[in-house]
Amino acid sequence: MLLFNQLETYLYLAIVLFAIGLYGVLARRSLIALLISVELILNAASINFMAFNRFLAPHPAVGQIITLFIMAVAAAEAAIALSIIVALYRKLKTINIEQATELRG
Amino acid sequence: MNVLLFGPELYFLGAALIFFSLTLKRKVQVKADYRIALALAAGGVAVSVLCLFQQGELFFKAYKVDLFSQIFKFALALGFFLVITISHNLAQIEERYHAEFYLFLTTTTIGMMMLVSAVELLTIYVALELSSYSLYILVPLRRGDGIDVEAGIKYLFIGAVSSGFMLFGLSYIFGATHSTYLTEIMPKMAQLVQSPIGVLGLLFSLAGFFFKLSVFPFHFWAPDVYQGAANQVTTFIATASKAAAVAVLLRLVALGSSYGYNFTQVLVMLSIISMTLGNLVAIVQKDFKRMLAYSSIAHAGVFLMGVLTIKEAGYIGAVYYALAYLVMNFTVFMVLSEVAKDGRDLKIVELAGLWKRSPILGLSLILGIFALAGVPPSIGFTGKLLIFTSAMNQGYFWLVLIGAVNGTISLYYYLRVVYAAFFMDPGDLPPVTVSFPTRLLNYALVAIIIGFGVFPDQIVRLAQAAVKTVL
Repeated sequence: MLLFNQLETYLYLAIVLFAIGLYGVLARRSLIALLISVELILNAASINFMAFNRFLAPHPAVGQIITLFIMAVAAAEAAIALSIIVALYRKLKTINIEQATELRG
Repeated sequence: MNVLLFGPELYFLGAALIFFSLTLKRKVQVKADYRIALALAAGGVAVSVLCLFQQGELFFKAYKVDLFSQIFKFALALGFFLVITISHNLAQIEERYHAEFYLFLTTTTIGMMMLVSAVELLTIYVALELSSYSLYILVPLRRGDGIDVEAGIKYLFIGAVSSGFMLFGLSYIFGATHSTYLTEIMPKMAQLVQSPIGVLGLLFSLAGFFFKLSVFPFHFWAPDVYQGAANQVTTFIATASKAAAVAVLLRLVALGSSYGYNFTQVLVMLSIISMTLGNLVAIVQKDFKRMLAYSSIAHAGVFLMGVLTIKEAGYIGAVYYALAYLVMNFTVFMVLSEVAKDGRDLKIVELAGLWKRSPILGLSLILGIFALAGVPPSIGFTGKLLIFTSAMNQGYFWLVLIGAVNGTISLYYYLRVVYAAFFMDPGDLPPVTVSFPTRLLNYALVAIIIGFGVFPDQIVRLAQAAVKTVL
């Protein structure tokens, strides 16, 4: 049995991607890096959907359609995130999240 | 006939198009735009009442219209209307962005309306993102010194991570059950009782709604967003958005009805942590909106208590409390935005002597706060009673006990607000003038808070008929 023709391979890949994304979200302080980490988490979910679709699901297209939707929605999300990041940069002259600490309590 | 099934959504879609055309105008007409928005919002409430008893399925059964969804659509339309009524004075949003404010408020309402009707995983995801993204844009619309953008960034990233968790969980549910329809998933979930992947999948997929409801691991955004966003936007996030989140949680948690102990135990933990954390941190807050944010985290725990029983009684309590919470939380926020006419963040001490400065607002404030604290005979008390009794009947003694202790703790900071409004000397704080329509709104809210608290039968019966379709 070839490695790339097994469901488990893809599930492990997705978990690794998810973990990297989660680590990035918690550890990185640059907003762009945070955005990339979030995209990694979404891609992990996409891989899961595609893998389950390829190996298990009876209906041939459901997983692929969901992945297409995730890509489109993630693009919209990136657009909004980047626009807010630009707005933050204009006000604070930084995209480091640790500089944005006016709200506390 | 078919048009009525999709009525509220179509109506708000049309309203969104009108607001979109308003955003394109070169000349800013604040007053005219507001009148259009108010008329459209009132029409939305009428349409959602008209469609209240529709039943059917749309879009290849991905979209279910039943009493449960229609009640929440009515609540959302009402929330939208109420927020528009206090938007006559959008001091904190630049005048040329007022039309955008209405536009995105409408699109987020459409998203939530689709959310409460969605019974298919992909539909749920897309509807959730539609409602979230509009809110992500609304939060940084406030004019200010950067706190709005900071709040927007925090809201967006915590929201994005929680929806990433949700998708990851949904993918496991899809993989384990080979379907994306809740009706097909439900019977297959029983097989997954033993596998940790099923529990993990379901818990992860709830993350997106824990975020909206500000339940413990996803609550960090609440205080900052409440404080950083314009008062009207905060009001919407604190009222309508919560009702939608409760509705979807009820639908999704019903999937776990066969899980038994393990699954509900996690929810019990989250409920306890949310309640305790929210109440304890709320005590030290000086900013009124921040305090209300922590109170909303505490209330998320109460909602969860009703949800995790996965029995009819608990679900009825949760539906009733979601509707009650919308009204009573709005009452408090309405007072807040009337007192802070220039849209500033209100400190609790700035409420000093509100009773003398504006008796009607003082009355609304005390009733709203007492309802939030769960003092009889308000709707808040009746809702808490329904939820606590159902949890007690299910044998969650410790959970109910901790809930009751938390209720007592919460009295402390709620009464601090009442103390400020009634016993503190107003000093040189100016009197608050209230316009005639706002006065009417105050009377209506007071009547609802007392009326449905004393006579909850009608609402309970409606909620009972509604939850039958979910469980």
